[in-house]
Amino acid sequence: MSRRTDSVGHLWLHLFLLVMVVITVYPILWVLSVAFSGGQSLAFADLPPDPGVLDRLRAIVPWPEQLTWSNFSDVFSQQPFGRWLLNSTIVAGATTLCGVFLASTAGYAFSRFKFPGRRAGMMGFLVSQMFPGTLTLVPLYIIIVVWLELGSNFLGLILLYSTTAIPFCVWMLKGYFDTIPIELEESAKMDGASALTIFYRIILPLSKPAIAVTALFSFMTAWNEFVLALTIMDQEIMYTAPVGLRFFVGGYAEQQWGYFAAGSIVAALPVMILFLILQRYLISGLTAGAVKG
Amino acid sequence: MALKTATGRQVLAGLLTGLVAGLLLTALVVDAGHRRLNGVAAQQRAVIATAAAAEALAAGGEDAQDLVERLVERIPDLEELRVVDVGSRSLSASTHATDREAGVPPRRLTRDEKSLYDQARELQAARRTNEQEAEARKNEVLAEVLPDGRLQLVVPVMEGDRVTGAVQAWCGGAPADRIGGPGFAPWLVAAVCIVVFLVVMRLVPSPRARVLVSLVILAAGLWFHADLAVDGLADHRVRLEEGLRDHAFALQEICAASLPGVGADPSAWDLDRYRQPRGRFDAAGELDLEVVRAGAAPTLRRFGQSAAVLSVIALVLQWWVAGGWATASWRALVKNRSAYGFVLPAMVGMVLLVFYPFTYGLAISFTGKTLYNVNEPLVDLFVGFENYVQILKDIDVFTTAEDGSRIINFQSFYWTLGFTILWTVSNVSIGVSLGLLLALILNTKGLALRPLYRIILILPWAVPNYITALIWKGMFHKQFGVINQIVQIFGGEPIAWFDAWGTSFAAVLMTNAWLSFPFMMVISLGALQSIPGDLYEAARVDGAGKFQQFRFITLPSLKPALVPAVILSVVWTFNMFNIIYLVSQGEPAGATEILITEAYKIAFEQYRYGYAAAYSVVIFMILLAYGIWQNRTTKATEGI
Repeated sequence: MSRRTDSVGHLWLHLFLLVMVVITVYPILWVLSVAFSGGQSLAFADLPPDPGVLDRLRAIVPWPEQLTWSNFSDVFSQQPFGRWLLNSTIVAGATTLCGVFLASTAGYAFSRFKFPGRRAGMMGFLVSQMFPGTLTLVPLYIIIVVWLELGSNFLGLILLYSTTAIPFCVWMLKGYFDTIPIELEESAKMDGASALTIFYRIILPLSKPAIAVTALFSFMTAWNEFVLALTIMDQEIMYTAPVGLRFFVGGYAEQQWGYFAAGSIVAALPVMILFLILQRYLISGLTAGAVKG
Repeated sequence: MALKTATGRQVLAGLLTGLVAGLLLTALVVDAGHRRLNGVAAQQRAVIATAAAAEALAAGGEDAQDLVERLVERIPDLEELRVVDVGSRSLSASTHATDREAGVPPRRLTRDEKSLYDQARELQAARRTNEQEAEARKNEVLAEVLPDGRLQLVVPVMEGDRVTGAVQAWCGGAPADRIGGPGFAPWLVAAVCIVVFLVVMRLVPSPRARVLVSLVILAAGLWFHADLAVDGLADHRVRLEEGLRDHAFALQEICAASLPGVGADPSAWDLDRYRQPRGRFDAAGELDLEVVRAGAAPTLRRFGQSAAVLSVIALVLQWWVAGGWATASWRALVKNRSAYGFVLPAMVGMVLLVFYPFTYGLAISFTGKTLYNVNEPLVDLFVGFENYVQILKDIDVFTTAEDGSRIINFQSFYWTLGFTILWTVSNVSIGVSLGLLLALILNTKGLALRPLYRIILILPWAVPNYITALIWKGMFHKQFGVINQIVQIFGGEPIAWFDAWGTSFAAVLMTNAWLSFPFMMVISLGALQSIPGDLYEAARVDGAGKFQQFRFITLPSLKPALVPAVILSVVWTFNMFNIIYLVSQGEPAGATEILITEAYKIAFEQYRYGYAAAYSVVIFMILLAYGIWQNRTTKATEGI
């Protein structure tokens, strides 16, 4: 008997969830159909001069009038999108290497050593997360572009991204290092291993999962970053993918929605897959501090 | 207290450290000051020589090519000369070997030599502008240091009041004026300080008094040294001016020997960059010391400021060493060297690229820095709290127009603040309620397809938010956007979403709601799943209804996870730059600008760096206040 009422109740729940699913999926389908339409227009169908309800319905169904890959091939052959993707890859890759190195060494020190300034250092990292981007953006712009003349240069962006990702990564790695039993290190120390050897030979291999998550987090942060790249990279050839995608539809020139949609799919697909695989780790990283109290 | 136990040796070490640091740093600055003065004088020397050449050319009367060759031969500063005539676009004369390869002057300029012509045109335009505005604003003398250290100058050739051409000169670095080095002054000061200190040590037994006296001695010594250095710089300046005068009169003799009438008044060649006479000396060769001193005043003042700052640094160092803190720090450093070694790389990065910019941003916020004075020292641009006052005084959000209707001043800080709060509160409430509702539904036992729903509903979180923003911007397009198509299915008129404040707000709100509910949903779902089922069992046994179970079991269990999530999402939304910047762009007329996008626009569209920095500091203060308040209230509730 209870089974029956449950099913009836579930029907309403399913209906509600279905509405939510449509709202969630619609923009994604929208990009897909603009991308595969082969044109640069926003509309899926040409409306007759005096459209009826059916014509209008056709115009909102996210299915293009023809399916073609041409936007995907054109965005690489006729637009410098390949170059932009390469820029993003270089910047995000170097940021990952740099960020993991900086965060793992600092995280290890905070986890294993008691030294004067430890608490202040960790709090400083935490507080720095509260600095609003624009407050440091103006000085950073002056330092990187005006003084160091690293505008439109990979190095400037890599330096910036590595340091912005550090605090989160340090806290996350410190938390993981804390869970590794200290006995392992003590026996190594007895055998005369130096701190550097212990870190390199024992801690790092044991922390592979955490390091991987940190690396992917750094990569995704750098890959998706928009404002700093917009500010620093002012030559078209040095755009990163986000700045380039906005260039297709944000400027005063003709808006190229087809290129934007195709490019977005290429740029977003890898990070979306990464995100869906990693979501549990990221969420636990975000809330770890809070749950501990 | 470390000061009480400071030994005589420690105090002496402190004094020595202070002396070395203070004198060395000041000596470096003095040296830099001398170099700078020498550089300026070398450039002025070249200007005088080039101006002399320009006057000789303007006097004309003979073949220009002959003339430039003779000038280069006789005037030692001039290495190469090129003369360009604007009217005929030709190179009238040149001593440069490669120029002759393309044809013997006078001849038409080649394509490669266009920059020369452009420079002459630039001077012509500058002259015209300055004349029209009756104010010297544009440079009429172009000077540039070439990569090999030589100077390149461009001076107009005048015919009456008209610029007819330009002469470009390459001048070798002037014969190096002796810098003189720091001299014996630092040694003298150091010796006197040490002697005085040793005498005082005999008389004063108390360690604390000794430290204080040594501080006073160092301060006095450094002040005396800086005073000597300022005098030295001022004297050097006068010597340099004398050198320039002698140079000009030597040129006059050279010119008079071969070109009668040229250079009757050599002080006319001593031009500033607006081609106005600098007036440091007159036709009789008399130096005007008043003008020289007035010209030196800003440099000397800046030097005095630097010396003061350096002295404070030296005093702090001395205090640190004398009090024994230096030894303690050194011991801690050695003892924990591996720990510090591990932290160092990250710390250096953080200090250089996070903490230093933050401090520098604070400093900029008290200045009138803009794109146009970006390289000037901050001290010269200091405006005090003016930026803050300007931001905060704009209280009149509503003004009344002439016809009696109310106008909202969207540029007012308070409007933007109010809108940011509205934006944050509405987004977070939508996010929390929608996320919680979906989590409760997805947590229903026996609901089919739960994992599928979960993975689909989490998708918006995975899409990079700049892409989300641009997609929604496309969907809100007035003519072709799908949202207006849906509106029209229901018989409405197409809406220009970004033309009115209300619809623009609705658009950005929808966009942000779409991307932010999954976060809350996932957090709530995780918390819901961790509530043990026995709790509900026990409640049912006690006769609690569904609502009571929700109120007394579910909500309290959610709190530890939801509170930090809400705090996080408040901060995120408050600073949600991408959505506003990419979807509404603040339209209409800045009405949907949030604080962070407004600060960005002030910095990178109006180029008012100082004002933007002050704006950002205000944002930081608001977030800080929120953080402290939130921390206090959550702590308070945790205690219950």
